[in-house]
Amino acid sequence: MFGWTGKLLHVDLTRGTCERREIPIDILHAYLGGRGLGVRLMRDYFRLGPFDPDLPLIFAVGPLCGTNSPTAARLACVSRSPLTGTIYDCSAGGRFAWRLKAAGLDALFITGKSQQPVFLSIQGERAELHPAQSLWGKGVKETVAALKEHGSVTTIGPAGENGVLFANIMMGEGNSIGRGGLGAVMGAKGLKAITVQGDGVTGVADKDRFDAARGDVMRLFRASPVIFGELGIAEYGTPALVDLMAQRRMAPTENFRSTFFAESGNYSGPAIRKECGAKKEGCYGCPIQCKKASAAGEPLPEYETVNHFGALNGISDLHAIVKANSLCNELGLDTISAAATLSAFGEARGRFPDAAEVASLLADIAYRHDQGELLSLGSRRVAELLGKPELSMSVKSLELPAYDPRGAYGMALAYVTSNRGGCHLRAYPISHEILRKPVPTDRFSFSGKARIIKIAEDVNAAVDSLVACKFAFFGATLEEYGELLSAVTGVEYGPESLKAIGERIYLTERFYNCENGFSRSHDTLPQRFFEEAGSAGEGIDVPPIDRARFDEELQKYYRIRGLDVEGGFAGRNLLAELP
Amino acid sequence: MRDQITKYTGKLLADRSASADGIAFAAQDDTLITAGAPELAALAGNTLSRLNSLALVAARPSLPFADFLIARAGQGEECIVPQDTETRTFLHDIPFLRRQDLVDDPAPVLAKLLGNRKGVIVEGVGIVAVGAITVEQAFINYSSVFHSTFVKYLQDVLADGFRLPGEREAFDSFRREWLRPLTAAGLDFIGALSLEKEEILAEIERVGRYTVERGLVDSFFGNISATAGELIYISQTAASLDELKGCIDPVPADNSSTTGITASSELLAHRKVYEQTGARVILHGHPKFSVVMSMLCDRKRECAIKDCWKDCPHVRNLGGTPVVAGEIGAGGLAKRVPPVIGASGTAIVYGHGVFTLGREGFGEAFAAMVDVENFCREEYFRQVDRIKA
Repeated sequence: MFGWTGKLLHVDLTRGTCERREIPIDILHAYLGGRGLGVRLMRDYFRLGPFDPDLPLIFAVGPLCGTNSPTAARLACVSRSPLTGTIYDCSAGGRFAWRLKAAGLDALFITGKSQQPVFLSIQGERAELHPAQSLWGKGVKETVAALKEHGSVTTIGPAGENGVLFANIMMGEGNSIGRGGLGAVMGAKGLKAITVQGDGVTGVADKDRFDAARGDVMRLFRASPVIFGELGIAEYGTPALVDLMAQRRMAPTENFRSTFFAESGNYSGPAIRKECGAKKEGCYGCPIQCKKASAAGEPLPEYETVNHFGALNGISDLHAIVKANSLCNELGLDTISAAATLSAFGEARGRFPDAAEVASLLADIAYRHDQGELLSLGSRRVAELLGKPELSMSVKSLELPAYDPRGAYGMALAYVTSNRGGCHLRAYPISHEILRKPVPTDRFSFSGKARIIKIAEDVNAAVDSLVACKFAFFGATLEEYGELLSAVTGVEYGPESLKAIGERIYLTERFYNCENGFSRSHDTLPQRFFEEAGSAGEGIDVPPIDRARFDEELQKYYRIRGLDVEGGFAGRNLLAELP
Repeated sequence: MRDQITKYTGKLLADRSASADGIAFAAQDDTLITAGAPELAALAGNTLSRLNSLALVAARPSLPFADFLIARAGQGEECIVPQDTETRTFLHDIPFLRRQDLVDDPAPVLAKLLGNRKGVIVEGVGIVAVGAITVEQAFINYSSVFHSTFVKYLQDVLADGFRLPGEREAFDSFRREWLRPLTAAGLDFIGALSLEKEEILAEIERVGRYTVERGLVDSFFGNISATAGELIYISQTAASLDELKGCIDPVPADNSSTTGITASSELLAHRKVYEQTGARVILHGHPKFSVVMSMLCDRKRECAIKDCWKDCPHVRNLGGTPVVAGEIGAGGLAKRVPPVIGASGTAIVYGHGVFTLGREGFGEAFAAMVDVENFCREEYFRQVDRIKA
C-alpha cells in the first residue's frame, strides 16, 4: 500500500492497553485521512458527551504526510467539543504528524480515562503508557522539555487539565490544536501528553508523476501574491492581514461594536517584524514558513490573535499582545476564544480589560481561579450567566474570529453553516471575498454565495483530510493536489472526486450534529450584526446585514445541500448510505 | 447570475474569441439556469448539473485552431500540452474529446473530464470551461484555453507546416480577415502623468481598457502600474484589465503597509524595474504573437537546458526587444526583466508576455507594446511565408 499505512493505534486509557489495528482500505479510500478519517471513526461514538470516558480522541494524518508534498505534514484531531457540543476537528502542523506517520500509523484512537495522569509514548512499533503525575500541573514548555528525548511532543497545559472549555492541545513546536476545547477532552482522560518517534518512510507509487505535480504546486505558490508575494504570508505571516482588514473596514473592534481600530498599525505585519525581529518558522517541510518567531525563538501571534487581544479589547500595545499569546501557548488556551471571552466579559461589565489585566485573567482562566472560573466557560455561557446573552459574539458557542461578517457576506453565511461553529476556516470565503483567490467575488453581495460556500466547504473538508494547509490553496487547487494524491497512492483522484469526498465528510458531520439536537435555530449570527452598522470609512459603508436576505440565502444553502427547511435530514439515515 | 451571463457573453463577442451564434452558459445556485445557443446550452446545463461547480461556458471558438490541434494530434493522445506560461501554470494540459468519441449525450464524459481540468475541447463542438465559484471564472478559463490553443497552433504551424485538408485556407483566412491591424493611433493619453492619485487611477483604468479594446491582450492577461513618489499604484491580482476601477492598490515603496497583499503577483518585478530605470509607468500584457515568438529559439537543438522558460540564462533579441526567461511572481522574472528593460523600454518573457515602460506616461508604454507585438506578428508571418515558399 502506498500513501497510507492502514494502521491505527487504539489506546484504551481505562484498561491501560495499546493495540494496533487495521483500518479497512475502502474506508481510507473513501475518507482519505485527517478530518475525514476521524469523522468516520466517530460513527459509533458521536452521541457520547464530550467528557464521557468512552468518547474517542482521534489524531489522524493523511496519505500525503511523510512525502515531500508541500504543506502536508499535518494531522487532524477529532472528537466532540465541550465548548460547542458539535463534532469537532482541528488541523495542526509541526513535526508530530510526520513522526506519527513514520511510526507506521494513520491514526491514534484514544478512549477511556486513566485513574492517574499518564503520557503515551510511541517509539516505532512500540507504544506504552507512562505515569505523568510529576508533569501534571506543568506548563507546556516545561512538559515539552521534560519529554523531548522521546521524540515529538503534544501536550495539554493547565487549562486542559482543569477542563477549560476552550483549552488547546499544544504541539511541541508551538503549533496548536485549537478552538473547540479538545485540550479539555484530553485532560478529562487523564492524558497529559503524547510523544512519538518513528523512522518509517511513506511510499510513493509514481515518483515522476509526483515530482511533476509538486513542481506545479510550487509554480502556483510562486505566482500567488498572498503566499510568496513580497507582502504575503511567507514574509509577514498572517498578520499581513492586519492592514488589509483595517483598510476594508472589517477588523472586529471592542467586541464587534465597530470594525475599525485606529491603532491597529501597532501590530501589523511590518510592525511585528520591526518590533520583534520576526524571523521565518513553520511546519515541518513546509515551503511557505508562515509562522513567525521572535529573535529569541518565541512564537509570535497570528492575525486572529493580534486582532482579538488588540482591537477586540481596545489594546494597542504590541508587546502586551505578544505576551498574551505566549501566555495562552504556555497555559494551553485558545487565543481567539480567550480574547473574545474577555471582550464579551468586558462589554458586559462596562470596561474592557487593559493590557496588565489580560495577563492575570488568562492565568485565572487556566487555573479556574476567581473570575477565571466563570471565564473558563467561554463567551456564550459567560454572557448568559451575566444576564446579557446578546454580548457573546459566537455561533454555536464558538467565538467568532477576526473577520467581521458585516464586511463579507459569504463569511456571514460560512460562520453559521460551519459544522464546528463560528469558524473562518471551513468555507474560508476570505480567500475570494478579500484576497481575490481563485477569483474575486463581491463581498457585499449574497448573490451566488450559498452555492459558493457549499462548494468551498466540500473542498476544504477534502483539504483537511489530505491533510494539507489551507494557505496552499491561495495558489494551488485540488487539480494539483489531486495529482499529488494520485501519484502518492496510485489511486486516481481529481478535483471532482475529492469534492465528493469532502461533501460526504461535511454531511456526516452535519448529520451527527442534527442527531445531537442542532438545527436551523443554531445556524444564525449574533443579533448585533443584523442591527448595528460597522465602521464606515475610505468610501466603504458597512451596514447591518439584511436578515431577510441572509435567511433567504441560508434556505438556498439548505436546498443545495439536500437538507430540509430546518437544515435537517428529514428522517433520512444518512449513515446507512455511506461507506 | 443572468446579469453575469449577459456580461460575459458580451465579452466573448467583444474579444472575438467565440462565434456570435455559438455561445452558451449554464450556472447553478439552488436551481440550474442556462442561456445562449440552444444545443450548446443544453450541453452546458447537462454537464454542469453533474459537477460540484457554479458555472460553465460552452462556446464555439471563432477560429478552428483547437479542432486543428486535435486533428493533428497523434492516435492515442488525449490532451494537448501548450508550452506558454498560462497553460503551464494554470491549465497544465487541455484534454479533448474527438468527434468519433462523442455519443448521444456527451455530458457525462465531458463532466468527467471537467472533473479534473478547468477546460476541455470537444472536436466540432467547441471549448467547454468550468467556473468553480463564479461565472467570471468560467469565462477566464475559456479565455485561457482559447489563448493557449491559439499560441500552440501558431507554434505548431511554424514547426510542422500545414498537414490537414483546408488548413492552409483557414489559416490564410485568419490572417486576412480575423486579424486586425494593431495600432495606438487615435488613443488619448495624458502626456506627462502628474502625482495626483485620481489622475493616475483614471489613466491606469483607461490604458487597461485600451489594451483590451484594441485587441492587444485579452481581459485577464496582464497588469499595469504607475509610480508616484513613495507609492506604486498597481492593478490587483486576478483583475480584468478592462475593468480596473476599484482594483488598483496603492503600495508604499518602503513596505510599511501590507495592504497591497492583493496586488498583482508581478509587484516585485514592477518595483525593481522602477528602481533600475526611473520609469513612471509599466504596462504588462500577453499579446499572442509575442508569446509565440518568445518561445522560438534557434539554439534548442544543441542546448542542454530543458526548462527554457525558467532556466535559460541567455538574453535573446526580437526586433530590439530583449527576451528573457523567468517564472511569474516570485519565480525569477523579477530578477531577469529589470536589468534588461531599461535600454529599449521593452522586454519579453519567455512564453509569457511583454513589459513596456513609459518615462512620463502610458502613451509611450502602449505604443511600445503595439510595436513589439506588430514586430512579432510580422516576423511570425515572415517565417511562415519562408516555410511555405
